[in-house]
Amino acid sequence: MNNIIKSIRTRLLEISHLGQDGNLQSCFSSIEILYTLYNGVMNWSVENAKSPNRDYFILSKGQSSLALSAVLEEKGLFLNEELNTFCKFGSRFSMQLDRTKFPDGGIENSAGSLGHGFPMAVGLAYACKIKKNGGNHIYVLAGDGEMNEGSMWEACAFAGGRMLENITLIIDDNDSIGKMLDLSPLKDKLSAFGFAVFEADGHNVDDLKSTLNKCRGISGKPQAVIAHTIRGYGSQTLMTDNSWFHRSPDSDELEMLKKEVETFEKSDD
Amino acid sequence: MRKAMIKAVSDMIKNESDTSLFLVDIGVWAFRDILNDYPDRAMNIGIFEDGMVSLAAGMSLGGIIPTIYGISPFIVNRAMEQLKLDFAYQKLQGNFITTGASYDFATLGYSHYCPEDIGTISMIPGFEFITPGTAPEFTKLFEQTRRDAHPTYYRLSDHVNKTNVEVSFGKATVIKAGSKATVIAVSTTLDIVLETCENEDVSILYYTTLLPFDHETLKNHYNGGKILLCEPHYEGTLTYEIYKTFENKPIQISCVGVNREILRKYGSKQENDMYNQLTAKYIYQSLEKLLN
Repeated sequence: MNNIIKSIRTRLLEISHLGQDGNLQSCFSSIEILYTLYNGVMNWSVENAKSPNRDYFILSKGQSSLALSAVLEEKGLFLNEELNTFCKFGSRFSMQLDRTKFPDGGIENSAGSLGHGFPMAVGLAYACKIKKNGGNHIYVLAGDGEMNEGSMWEACAFAGGRMLENITLIIDDNDSIGKMLDLSPLKDKLSAFGFAVFEADGHNVDDLKSTLNKCRGISGKPQAVIAHTIRGYGSQTLMTDNSWFHRSPDSDELEMLKKEVETFEKSDD
Repeated sequence: MRKAMIKAVSDMIKNESDTSLFLVDIGVWAFRDILNDYPDRAMNIGIFEDGMVSLAAGMSLGGIIPTIYGISPFIVNRAMEQLKLDFAYQKLQGNFITTGASYDFATLGYSHYCPEDIGTISMIPGFEFITPGTAPEFTKLFEQTRRDAHPTYYRLSDHVNKTNVEVSFGKATVIKAGSKATVIAVSTTLDIVLETCENEDVSILYYTTLLPFDHETLKNHYNGGKILLCEPHYEGTLTYEIYKTFENKPIQISCVGVNREILRKYGSKQENDMYNQLTAKYIYQSLEKLLN
């Protein structure tokens, strides 16, 4: 795990502790995906965050809101440790982000209820296509469990039917769906809806980068990347104890989890 | 009113390249030219209302103003969360034109009725709600609001008033001023209100914009706090707005409107009006009771 990503995970633990809330398992699951998008994939910078020619990132799985906030903080969008106000009364930051609080850009949609972000992203991609905006690409992060929502498949039908090549759906596949109505194999279903489907190691930045950059060149089809991830990846405790799906660390737990992140090793790093 | 709507929306699609139309598999024949000539921006997207409303919100985010046309409950009930979270919460503009009103499709049964649409939409701050009583009123109100910054709901009925009124978005029209009571005629109730109250010493206020509600005009017609509220949707839906108008003043409200029940009678729209006592006779009786 590279040092920047480790420091983002550590930052997530600190913010969650300060705000006394968090979906740390989901955030840890998606951090490499978010980091990769903003570092070497998307045409996005703090300076062009409102440019009509930028790429858009739509967060459909709202549980990763804090992870997105931390990645954008690392990019320099949020200053003066404003993120330390996470979940405090009057803050711009909470468990689910509200786009109207970010008039200078960076947060493109308000997340929270599952099954909304991806259909909105498809509408956005379609708007960009008919306006012939000049190359913006829409990236969406959804959860595999979220794929149980009917609205996700309605959006797939539209994206495939209208051959929207300017949208990439990334599924953070941390096997949530295996505990629900299991729709696997997602790959076959997405292909049937007209998607070009790829798979990637969701915790390997190089693999993610090369897969996502391949998507941009696909013609006449929306793309889906099934990113295989592990809930809570980067901390042994978060990976094995599901009580961390929705809780925050106290002071002792914070120190313990930070040490785990610091010493975490992936076999192929 | 549907013809006026089809013309206004078609003109919009023809003349404004940043607008779009989604049909919920209704009006396909009437909109056939537009669907044919502008297939990228006008489409019968079909029967997936909740995903469609989210898609429309995304289009709005991308600078294309969406208009959706469908039967009321399939938009306001099926896609309620999308209206709330994707449009109102995210402050996106869009137009939702519905047909069917409370029970225009009387023979289709309760699944196609929507006497609760204003009650439901009024729980979403930021939404505009327009309920014209005639075709020219729709045309004018649509023109005034379709590009504004808010999501806007248009409630169309096939049963329109004979009386056409000069209306303006956000304003009630004073049909007449009186002193003994104030009668609020909402949308398609105006004809039956006029039939019974025109020669009474009462103020008659005509409302076609329900959200935002015009408190100011009502405030100027206190008339002893006696209010007769005539609504073509569930009875008493606008009582909150009346209380809000006359905070700290005593008021007495009498309501005429659709019974608050699951409607199971079928038949015609007129028969359902009779059943719900949405009639000139009942309005007259209610006014008499209020005045005595």
